[in-house]
Amino acid sequence: MADAARDTPRVLVPVAVLEGESVSESLADFLAAADVVVLGYHVIPEQTPAEQASLQFEERAQTAVEDLAALFREAGGDVETRVAFTHDRDQTVARVADEVDATATLLPNPVGDVEDVLVPLRGAIDTDRLAALVATLLAADPGTVTLWGIAAEVGEAEAAAAVERASATLRERGLDPARVATETSVADAPIRAIVERSADFDVIVMGEGEESLWSLLLGEDAERVAEAAVAPVLVVRDAPAGE
Amino acid sequence: MAPETGAANRAGETPATSGPEAVEDEATITEEGTELERSIGLVGGVAIGVGTMIGAGIFVFPGLAAGRAGPAAAGSFAIGAVVALLVALPASELATAMPKSGGGYYFISRALGTLPGAVVGISIWLGLVFATAFYLVGFGNYAAELLAQLGLPAAGVVTPLALVFGVLLTALNLVGTENAARLQNYVVGLLLTILVFFLGYGGLDAVGVFGRASTPEAFLPFGLAPVFTTAALVFTSYLGFAQVATVAGDIKRPGRNLPLAMVGSVLLVGVLYVGTIFVATSAMGSLALGRAGETAIVDVADAFLGTAGVFAILLAGLLATVSSANASILSTSRAVFAVSKDALVPRYASRVNLAYGTPHVALAMAGGPILVLVALGETEVLAEVASFLHLVMYGLMCVALVAMRRNEPEWYDPDFRVPAYPVVAGLGALASFGLLAFMQPTSQLIGVAVMLAAAGWYAYYARDVELKGVL
Repeated sequence: MADAARDTPRVLVPVAVLEGESVSESLADFLAAADVVVLGYHVIPEQTPAEQASLQFEERAQTAVEDLAALFREAGGDVETRVAFTHDRDQTVARVADEVDATATLLPNPVGDVEDVLVPLRGAIDTDRLAALVATLLAADPGTVTLWGIAAEVGEAEAAAAVERASATLRERGLDPARVATETSVADAPIRAIVERSADFDVIVMGEGEESLWSLLLGEDAERVAEAAVAPVLVVRDAPAGE
Repeated sequence: MAPETGAANRAGETPATSGPEAVEDEATITEEGTELERSIGLVGGVAIGVGTMIGAGIFVFPGLAAGRAGPAAAGSFAIGAVVALLVALPASELATAMPKSGGGYYFISRALGTLPGAVVGISIWLGLVFATAFYLVGFGNYAAELLAQLGLPAAGVVTPLALVFGVLLTALNLVGTENAARLQNYVVGLLLTILVFFLGYGGLDAVGVFGRASTPEAFLPFGLAPVFTTAALVFTSYLGFAQVATVAGDIKRPGRNLPLAMVGSVLLVGVLYVGTIFVATSAMGSLALGRAGETAIVDVADAFLGTAGVFAILLAGLLATVSSANASILSTSRAVFAVSKDALVPRYASRVNLAYGTPHVALAMAGGPILVLVALGETEVLAEVASFLHLVMYGLMCVALVAMRRNEPEWYDPDFRVPAYPVVAGLGALASFGLLAFMQPTSQLIGVAVMLAAAGWYAYYARDVELKGVL
């Protein structure tokens, strides 16, 4: 996998800078083990030309993003910054994530000290990028990770296999097995199950999830989790096609 | 780009040029590295063009045109489409070379200099205000007709209804409802659906599918000459394709989508117009159409489908006038931004509201005068003045293309190049300026007065501003 050649995973941190959104110091500390791209964006209504908004707010947005970047730099991270004015947040985040080839995108939520990571795994997903990211983030921190396979029905083997693979990858990457807990359970409503457990953890790392009718109606799985959960969510992007 | 000494306007402001910037398919990147996301796709671009144009051609002109040229009025609309294409092609090339908000004003100020730019920029602002007032009164007429059909009292409600809707549309854009622009797409979509159904049914009926033979009628009852003079009259129904260029800064893949949206929307409405005339003249004969005048299309619907048809066409009329009015209010606000950014009017005019993120000053400079004009009446004369001012801009755009091509600056690198440009741009300019001669003297007089006033403002306020070739 081409990704393995680039050792440090890259995390995209989109922040609505002019709305006062920010990233807590503890979360910055946690993420700084990865390469970080801070994307300060400002969403404007469609009747306002992006150019017009940038004329007035560009400096303020640039300053705010630099302040955020400084937070990551102080935590020892390698930081790149982007500033964007847009009519469509998701379009901008997706475009920048593609351009910087981000491993994961952060959906921010308030958080205190970051120690315990929950990794819900569903179906036959590619766990390599996900496990590589978790291993990097936890390498410098004392926290634990819980690999949680969620099967749709009793007897489904895919979830357990995914947990097994992820656990093996974490071991290979040098994470102390004592810090890795594994479990598998069955849930009818996996999103709700993840949200319910989120209170016991500080960060959730999960895959993008498959596109389905539900995701079209209700939003992507990770977004639904981030909206309802207490913890920030790192959404691991699927490997680009052809890799 | 550092301003030259003496480049400031009376208030000491200089054009806010964003400097050398990279135009990519999905975003523009400014000198400081800020990304400006492009979020309007091809469909959105076509919706702006069609939404601005479609009102007049179908809901005002069929009766007037058929009365003057007979069934050959369809040919008049086709000639109008050809002239519009002659301008749309140069506009497309300029827009792909300069995919920035501002449209025609931007091309003219960069290619021909500040004075022509200022005259076009300021008079197009007023022209759009006039046009919007006209659309709103049209809306009031259709709404009143609908009330009358429902058996409700409809006397004297035209102006109040137009005012209420003018306030509503302005407020909607001010408060920045997230989906204001998407709403436009749906309105245009629904409108097209009704029209295509109407034309499909009427077209089948006209060729005798439903058993009722249509009245055979001489195609050219008045000879060939009225076909051309009528083309001048109905060209108003093609004003608006250039509005697509005013959002050029926000269009995805501008090199492909701008030409497609401009040319495509002209072709789309051209086909609809020609089809409408064909169906209308087959249904009623051009004499009866001519007598019915501006609401002829309602009578045509009645002839085909009875009351249901009348309601459908009245609903379509409401949608068409609302979409034209809304698109024009947005264009007006962008026109104000374009001249304000270039220091031709005070920078204050391009302020963005902090709470809503909308350009509230520019929107007020659109909505305010529009409401005053609607309240005062006399919008029909002003609509022709709006056409006059647009035609001046179209002609100058063609001149701008020739100026650019004859001495191509280093930065001039359009994705789309007009084939045989001297012929196309020459004919486009000739046709645009030629149509001015066919207008009523009052409109010509007011139009020239507006342009002189704009030039006067330039001389007073922004004489030192240098825009030619400034990106």
